[in-house]
Amino acid sequence: MAEPDPRQTRLPPHPSQWTDPASPVSFTYNGKQVSALEGDTIGSALYSSGARIFSRSFKYHRPRGLMCMTGDCPNCLMSVDGVPNVRTCNTPVQQGMEVRTQNAWPSVEHDALSVMDKLDRLMPVGFYYKSLIRPRISWDMARPIIRRVAGLGKVGPEKDPDSEHQHHNLHSDVTIVGGGPAGLAAALEAGRGGSRVVLIDEGPVLGGHLLSDVSVHPELEEHAGLPGYQVAARLAQQVQEMSSIRVLSGATAFGLYPGNLLGVSQGKCLYKVRSRGIIVATGCREVPHLFPGNDLPGVYLGEALRRLMHLYGVVPAGRALVVASDHRGYRLAGELAQAGVQVVGIIDARESSPGGDTADSIPVFTDSSIAGASGLKGVKRALVLDKGTGETRSYACESIVITGTYEPNTGLLAQTSTALRYDPELQEIVPEDTPSGIYVAGDVTGLHNLELSLIQGKAAGCQASLGVDRPTGTELDALRRAIREKEQAYREALEPSSPSMAPSKEAGKTFVCLCEDVTPKDLYQAIDEGFDEMQTLKRYSTLSMGPCQGKMCLRPAIELCSRYTGRTMDETGSTTTRPPLRPLTLGTLAGPLHMPVKRTALHERHVQLGAAMADVGPWKRPHSYGPVSEEIAAVRERVGIIDVSTLGKIDVQGADAPALLDKVYTHRFSNLPVGRIRYSLLCSDNGSIIDDGTITRLSERHYFITTTTANVDLMEEWLKWWNAGAGGNVHVNNVTSGYGAINVAGPKARETLSKLTDVDLSPDAFRYMRSAEGEVAGVPCLFLRIGFVGETGWEMHFSAEYSEHMWDALMDAGSEFGIVPFGVEAQRVLRLAKKHIILGQDTDMVSNPLEADLPWVVRLDKDDFIGKHALEAVKERGPRETLVGFVMEEAVVPEDGVPVMHLGQPVGRVTSSRADPTTARGFGLAWVPADLSQEGAQITIQVRGRPSPARVVHQPFYDPEGARLRE
Amino acid sequence: MSFLLRCPNCGERSVADFRFGGETNVRPAPDASHAQWVDYYYFRKNVSGPRQEWWYHKFGCRRWFLAVRDSRTNEVPQTYWPEDRTGRGGDGASQG
Repeated sequence: MAEPDPRQTRLPPHPSQWTDPASPVSFTYNGKQVSALEGDTIGSALYSSGARIFSRSFKYHRPRGLMCMTGDCPNCLMSVDGVPNVRTCNTPVQQGMEVRTQNAWPSVEHDALSVMDKLDRLMPVGFYYKSLIRPRISWDMARPIIRRVAGLGKVGPEKDPDSEHQHHNLHSDVTIVGGGPAGLAAALEAGRGGSRVVLIDEGPVLGGHLLSDVSVHPELEEHAGLPGYQVAARLAQQVQEMSSIRVLSGATAFGLYPGNLLGVSQGKCLYKVRSRGIIVATGCREVPHLFPGNDLPGVYLGEALRRLMHLYGVVPAGRALVVASDHRGYRLAGELAQAGVQVVGIIDARESSPGGDTADSIPVFTDSSIAGASGLKGVKRALVLDKGTGETRSYACESIVITGTYEPNTGLLAQTSTALRYDPELQEIVPEDTPSGIYVAGDVTGLHNLELSLIQGKAAGCQASLGVDRPTGTELDALRRAIREKEQAYREALEPSSPSMAPSKEAGKTFVCLCEDVTPKDLYQAIDEGFDEMQTLKRYSTLSMGPCQGKMCLRPAIELCSRYTGRTMDETGSTTTRPPLRPLTLGTLAGPLHMPVKRTALHERHVQLGAAMADVGPWKRPHSYGPVSEEIAAVRERVGIIDVSTLGKIDVQGADAPALLDKVYTHRFSNLPVGRIRYSLLCSDNGSIIDDGTITRLSERHYFITTTTANVDLMEEWLKWWNAGAGGNVHVNNVTSGYGAINVAGPKARETLSKLTDVDLSPDAFRYMRSAEGEVAGVPCLFLRIGFVGETGWEMHFSAEYSEHMWDALMDAGSEFGIVPFGVEAQRVLRLAKKHIILGQDTDMVSNPLEADLPWVVRLDKDDFIGKHALEAVKERGPRETLVGFVMEEAVVPEDGVPVMHLGQPVGRVTSSRADPTTARGFGLAWVPADLSQEGAQITIQVRGRPSPARVVHQPFYDPEGARLRE
Repeated sequence: MSFLLRCPNCGERSVADFRFGGETNVRPAPDASHAQWVDYYYFRKNVSGPRQEWWYHKFGCRRWFLAVRDSRTNEVPQTYWPEDRTGRGGDGASQG
């Protein structure tokens, strides 16, 4: 294919055009180089290079070409730089872009799958609901074929290389959706009133439909004598100059949510825009007419040609037939003729033509309608029906231009409680009452008059910036009067146009829904089968369920259904409009990949020591610094040090603090002496464990609580909630990140610490489960003598900013005793040997303290606590399963989570398991049925698929008497 | 869900800032029957219309408050601290 120079195929430059003949760019289309101009969209550039078939249809693989040029129809979807389903008609071209067609083989021009078009009898509406059911295998066989044949672009499995998606929050007084004349007027008025304004517009340039309007508007006093595109430029200029207006161009408002929240996508950004007032000035779109062949390349909506011609300087070659029902169609025909297109005629359904705007040389066929289009890969002939005589005549032409049927873009309004009703005078579905804070202006109201749009915009801007529904401003009253008068005049001037012909059941292929290849025949059949209103008709026929989401088909389908069933448009109803109004990429919705990571204040120390870091919830914690066995040995024989800053820490104070803790914890805390520590659990009222931890009483009204690392936020909420409900005088503060915490444990822990503190750590002075306050290396600390790892040890809590100083001082002091830092893995082994449970590892959502073998923590003699009733019930019925210790009889180590077997059936599960370093046998914790839970019971554990004997052990595996803890 | 809630401390914020705490509920007395406890723990009134609910301003002041929300429209005519709830809608006491 010889590459045409894009400048040769274009119209002479005109100030309305966006393309710059002096700035050529190039991109590839299916691997071939295509020249374009700066300012082109991919669609306009391809069209100018001669491409007419842009895609193949979903089901029948029929050729489809540019039709709307506004991003509404599905015909121009292509893959651009690997992103599938991009609307090429309104995507600006960029140097080096890689554009490919979709869903066709070997090419859109010659698609072998177009044979589907001949197989339509095999695939009636809803065929997949009725056929391919028996035998069952038929669906399995058909499915891969259907998936291959039907569909759109393919998503590549590789990661989006450029996933810099962003989410932004915007706040404004007034947000205006639509940068056409009404939106611009509204923005100016609201901005003038001092409101902060956000103006959202889909196009790259403000102005809406005025941009492709080259006719002058003498009716506008302010802009008399100026063509539409210059009026747009003027208004846009004023908007740009107003600093209170923020413009989002190339942005789509895809959803209007409760609380006046607009979802807006712009490139890789998603904006969440909150405003007091929202002005919907989204304009209208043209919709196709129904006639056989209405989907052929060469059938255009009027706006498509207006944009091609006036924005990009391209017109279709050859002959064109224009379907018109008002002055806009006539004007377009004149413009086409002027641009060198041979206009074969204007088809007007009205009985007499008002003439007017068009050149006399164009023949006008009144009282006529378009009855069909034929051609293999594009329009070759058009059939025109003379309604008076009933005769049909055929005209040779390459383009059929459909104008005159408008549908307000009410998608955003339909997501609110706005009433949308069919106005028989306007013959459009228009918004009637909008909810408070939402205003409408412009073509979206079904009134298509520039002067009226500007006044409506001004009034809406005025009203929204006043922020009340019934403003008192005299200016607004004047504007409203003007709107009423102009609307009345507009309605009086409307010429009754007889509705377009409904295609008969027998006619050739007419497409209602271009996305899903739904024909009137399909709809009639579906209605005959009982799906006779829009909601069920949509689901059964898949009408409006494609990429355009009903923008092209909904209106014709409602009309068709209403006429076929003999009901009114309103009775026929519509489908439910939901966000997004235009397809979004998942990346847009997902936004940036924020994966917050928490590091303790000692993170750098761990890194310096070469720790292997592990993810523990959001935290990074050292798994180990070297061989785990050496870390374990150091804690058992000498002294170890571990960073436990990740522990949840909650400070609880107040007169009612003892009562609150008595209520939420299973143990009792009102009787805990000051300076003592108690371990306890919390349950919910169904008796299942929520969390565990230690509670230290610092003074009569002051407690310090530690929680599991992952649960601290939940515990904070939980404590606050019960306190709020009880109305107690308690302050609950989450101090997790405020305190660093280090545990020093081992036979030499006392000697190590004593070098750094005046606190008397001797066994009699500082006993197990006691606390004290004092300094370590000059840092004020809370000492908690507890023993998660089973050795003499202290957990020190101190201001987090001293963490590194504390760590260094302890390492230094311990060096003579052979101090070793140990990580999470060593801690897990050490605690397992003591049968200390880890919440979430050894328990789950339904574990209760009695069955978890912690009855000593539960004080059923308390009057009340959260979970008491449920635990009493558990006690009464007796345990069903129990968390027990086990030791393997052989030198094997089960993995965490493997089943406990009995008579060949799984009856329990191992929750934690590690190897005993001396015997190499596995030991750990497991849930077993109550009748297998007694000391010494023989159980069978599935180890790597092989049953292996084990024995139930109730005592801790290490230091069962706890002598070492208390030393 | 994108409606706004007025935190009595922080003011109007997106509902995404908050944690929903469920409808207010009266916790049975300790000696209540098993059936009453089961009813309290497992069943909700799930009123279609205005109802009193717990909300927690998780990404704000981290305080619990009560809100009257219309479950049909998500309109929230009232929010207030639990200690101010006397005489308001809903069932008064929260957890017993």
